[in-house]
Amino acid sequence: MTDHRLDEILGTTGRDPGCDAGLDLIDEYCDIVERGDPVPERFADFVTHLGNCRACREDTEGLLAVVREQQHRNGT
Amino acid sequence: MDGVETMKIDSDPNSNWVRDLQDEGGARDEAIARLHAMLVRVARGEAVRRRASMPLRAAEEVDDLCVQAANDALMAILSKLGTYRGAARFTTWACKFVILEASARLRRHAWRERKVELDDTIWDRLSDQAPPVLKRIEDDQLIGALHRAVDAHLTERQRLIFQSVTMDDVPIDVLAERLGSTRGAIYKTLHDARAKLRRALTDAGYAEQRND
Repeated sequence: MTDHRLDEILGTTGRDPGCDAGLDLIDEYCDIVERGDPVPERFADFVTHLGNCRACREDTEGLLAVVREQQHRNGT
Repeated sequence: MDGVETMKIDSDPNSNWVRDLQDEGGARDEAIARLHAMLVRVARGEAVRRRASMPLRAAEEVDDLCVQAANDALMAILSKLGTYRGAARFTTWACKFVILEASARLRRHAWRERKVELDDTIWDRLSDQAPPVLKRIEDDQLIGALHRAVDAHLTERQRLIFQSVTMDDVPIDVLAERLGSTRGAIYKTLHDARAKLRRALTDAGYAEQRND
């Protein structure tokens, strides 16, 4: 592990599937987080990618905000 | 038993969306109109959420971007409807397309008048002008080692992408557009550059024992 002060620049060393693979999971991940369920282990690489990729992190935050607003409006 | 199953499917909003969008009658038109209205609303909401990062004078054009994003997302959803497997709610799956379309457009719009170029002065700027990510390291020796590793180990394209994304905060969508590439390819280049730098810094002694 390199100096932790470099993590923001160099990213973390876990398996990172990249943007394209991550975008396949973003909707399922947001539903799980919105429900407050534990995030399954199979999302570990995707979560690593979110830590390393600001664009995917922003998109996930955007979708999660939408899902929360929709569920709030539906009264669930 | 069949009746129970049918009732379950009919009361499932995910199935209702898919059924209506695949209908060959008026239900399809009505469902498309409803879906498009939702996509426009979501795109506008995303623009509001991101307004702090948008230049003020761009605000008047943002609504057009949102409608374009919704239009393109609708086309993508209809063409990929057969791939929807129900892992997420239908509305979440559909909104993913418009969030991705809208956010990429908004990021590119925010950067449309800004240059993307390799700026090696970032390493030498006084501390109050240095990129925030370097300020947070607060260690001249470590920054020097990183700078040397960048010069020694990265190709020019890797340097441009690495420095732009990590130090100048250029969104990867913007880099993809300017470099005639894709978001996935730009991220792969960034990922490879980071791996090279991590190895170089480990070899230079800026590391604990690797355990991964």
